[in-house]
Amino acid sequence: MTLGGYELRLQRRAALPGWKAALFSVLALLFGLALFSIIFLQAGQNPLEIYKQLVNYAFFNPYGLHLTINRFIFLALASYAFIIPAQAGVWNIGMPGQLYMGALGAFGVVYLMGGKTSDLAGMPSIVVIVAMLAAAMLAGALFGAIAGWLKGKWNVNEIVVTMMLNFVAFYFVAFMIKDGGPFMNLGGRGESFELPEVARAPMVSDFPITLPIVFLLMIALAVLFSRMSLGYQIRAFGKSPKAAGYSGIKSFKIAVLVFALGGAIAGLAGYHYFTAVPGVYKIARTYGYFGDLSFYGMICGLISLSNPVATLFVALLFGGLSIGGRYVQGKLHLGFGVDYALMGVLMITLVGFQFFYNYQISITKKEKKHHVALSD
Amino acid sequence: MFRSKQKNAAVELHGDIWKHIQPGEVVLDARQITKRYPGGVLANDHIDFKIKAGEIHAILGENGAGKTTLMSILFGLLQPDEGEIYVRGRKTNFRSPDDAIRMGIGMVHQHRKLAPAHSVLENILLGHPKSRGIMKLKEAEEEIMALARRYGFEIDLRAKVWQLTEGEKQVTEIVKALYRGAKILILDEPTSALTPVETDRLLESIKNMTQDALGVVPFITHKLPVILAISDKVTILRRGKVVDQLETAETTEQILAQRMVGRPVIFNLQKEPVTPGKPVIQVEHLSARNNKGIMALDDVSFTVREGEIMGVAGVAGNGQHELAETLFGLRPAVKGKILLEGKDVSKASVLERWQLGMGYTPSERTEVGSIPDFTLVENVAMNYYFDERYQRKGMVDYKAIRQLTEQIIQEFDVATPGPDVKIRTLSGGNLQKVILGRVLSRQPRLVIANLPAQGLDVGATEFVQRKLLEARSQGAAVILISEDLDEILSLSDWIAPMYEGKIVAMIPGEKAQKDTIGAMIAGLHQEN
Repeated sequence: MTLGGYELRLQRRAALPGWKAALFSVLALLFGLALFSIIFLQAGQNPLEIYKQLVNYAFFNPYGLHLTINRFIFLALASYAFIIPAQAGVWNIGMPGQLYMGALGAFGVVYLMGGKTSDLAGMPSIVVIVAMLAAAMLAGALFGAIAGWLKGKWNVNEIVVTMMLNFVAFYFVAFMIKDGGPFMNLGGRGESFELPEVARAPMVSDFPITLPIVFLLMIALAVLFSRMSLGYQIRAFGKSPKAAGYSGIKSFKIAVLVFALGGAIAGLAGYHYFTAVPGVYKIARTYGYFGDLSFYGMICGLISLSNPVATLFVALLFGGLSIGGRYVQGKLHLGFGVDYALMGVLMITLVGFQFFYNYQISITKKEKKHHVALSD
Repeated sequence: MFRSKQKNAAVELHGDIWKHIQPGEVVLDARQITKRYPGGVLANDHIDFKIKAGEIHAILGENGAGKTTLMSILFGLLQPDEGEIYVRGRKTNFRSPDDAIRMGIGMVHQHRKLAPAHSVLENILLGHPKSRGIMKLKEAEEEIMALARRYGFEIDLRAKVWQLTEGEKQVTEIVKALYRGAKILILDEPTSALTPVETDRLLESIKNMTQDALGVVPFITHKLPVILAISDKVTILRRGKVVDQLETAETTEQILAQRMVGRPVIFNLQKEPVTPGKPVIQVEHLSARNNKGIMALDDVSFTVREGEIMGVAGVAGNGQHELAETLFGLRPAVKGKILLEGKDVSKASVLERWQLGMGYTPSERTEVGSIPDFTLVENVAMNYYFDERYQRKGMVDYKAIRQLTEQIIQEFDVATPGPDVKIRTLSGGNLQKVILGRVLSRQPRLVIANLPAQGLDVGATEFVQRKLLEARSQGAAVILISEDLDEILSLSDWIAPMYEGKIVAMIPGEKAQKDTIGAMIAGLHQEN
């Protein structure tokens, strides 16, 4: 393409340093915010003011910050549940189902201990909580492994399986907590029984215990993918299943393993929202909302290109945006859904700018072409 | 009936530009073609050449000589910085391959650009003006079959592309180009994936095509005998420049090689005498099915000992590929036994076979043998992620693997900016050197090399062959699968010609004769 004597060329990049990738993400973010300002201007609002209030509430208001962090933890876990299978080249769309099962697992432990009707006085809290965490992860892992097993054994499409299993899990939760189900609240409000005091996740300096777990997972995943033999096998399989098979990597093992690991982490996300967030401590009537929310984990994972460290920044950003966006929408009487629209635009610009990860535009001054004279 | 239809189709496809064509007329005239790449590389430096109707004009050059650039310019994939192209005296300005196709230029790529899941017919029709709206499949099928018969191509329009051999894919591409009305056919290394028999058949068909006043331009790296066999003229490129234009009748293989490489080339490798040792691999009654479910490997038995190279000769699709994959555990055996140093490994996993001392360099270097998006270090790790010496408690010792990669780069003379670039940036020859270096660095007891020198230029071929001989000298058993009879003859201690899934005979290397083996792999000779 030429523009006023200058030639624009698209060139493939050989390599991209990490700081540049981060820079492009920041640019994408600014570009998205600028783009969305048009909507605010249209509504007669000052976009800078809106963004300021949004950020202030989401990250600097003590109440808002807690909401943001709770959502961040959830999104980070959902992203990790997506990323591990994604590194192996398979799509986990089953975070909702896996987190429902995780929540049921955690509540199942309490139920079996008799926590539905008693306050479990005398039980050491640590035992109950560790058992709940283990059960949540195990339930998520087993549920996730179904898709991995089918994929590894008969190459059944994992997207379809995980998607369908989401419905199975959704109605299984409904069966458990509604209409006389075993976990039903005795008051019959269509939600689960409330956790007794001992079963509630402890707080670490005012934040749920799941926050340090997220950071531990980040380190674990970073080590897994950059150093461990298993992580190497997962990545090799993700880039080229044929080449992986040639190197002796077993596709069945990888498929089952990544879905079990992803499912376990999704199970933790379920544990987080229903047992660790202050003020909840039950499987709420609106549990389906959290299932839907976990799909944002997929987008966080895609934006961060499955990098476990970058994922946390993206999850924090969207955690804050969803909380702050909802707040300013209410406070400034903006149209319904503005918060989702803003997140949507930012997701698109973030993914769109990844074009520059692979390509660069070079501008050169065009030389005049010398035509050879023709004499026939 | 058919001819008139063809002509109409031609007019419909590219106006009247190709009317009344006479043999010997200049149909394509490229003048002063110059292409500079960013970074200042002069890929084409004022290249001139003319193609006449009914002429086969070969372009010869090593990898990196500028053939691909020139070809891309002729086909409209790239625009030249300087120079012009005339088709039948008309100046052209190709902005895309579509423009080139409309002017009657057809291209057959070296890496076939076909949709594997679709049938041959569908692939031929893909992008054809006739495939718009409602397709007249029956009519198209008849036209294509007539076209194929005319030039002697064997083609099964109903077969799916993934089931085809490389040779059959090549034919599909050529017929596709012809059906689109190509009058000048550019063939990129047309015989590099083919076997002697397929090559002969293709060359014959190409000759048939020139009778219809088609201009044919094969671009070839190192198959010099092919050039001598079919072309009328040769243009030799070196570093972007035309170094020579010769009449084929007046030249020899030696002259061509020397002009192309810029130095004299040794055609014979030094093979040290090695006394064979204990049997390394014993195969008994091995059978396996191919992807179509047909028994492609049929009751094969052989033994290869330490210090021996067994050359498996054969036309593509006669079971060699299945043999390699079955030996390595990538394909299930239907029956039979594989003993590695006396140990039954028939049921062993691929991982166990690596650990027990088998090594395999696959013919599909980018799909199977390497991971293009991984760096060189990560690609070397493909053979070491499981190795006790290179990992501790589940942690891969990337530092040690990096050192190993640097050793391979040095020892195998790999041209790369360093061990941390993605392997997709390497040329075919350098990629193969890394793969071979990685496999040989394990010091395997058995090396299975599947088409190790295919598509490589003269220098890289020599190198790869020398390394296989080195492995043999060090006491490894080598199974060399090749479609190049000269390669087989110069390297092998035993030659196993394969035909329709069976090893026809086991011939000692020193007694082997090229024409006998050529006949055996063509199914014309059975030893009793």
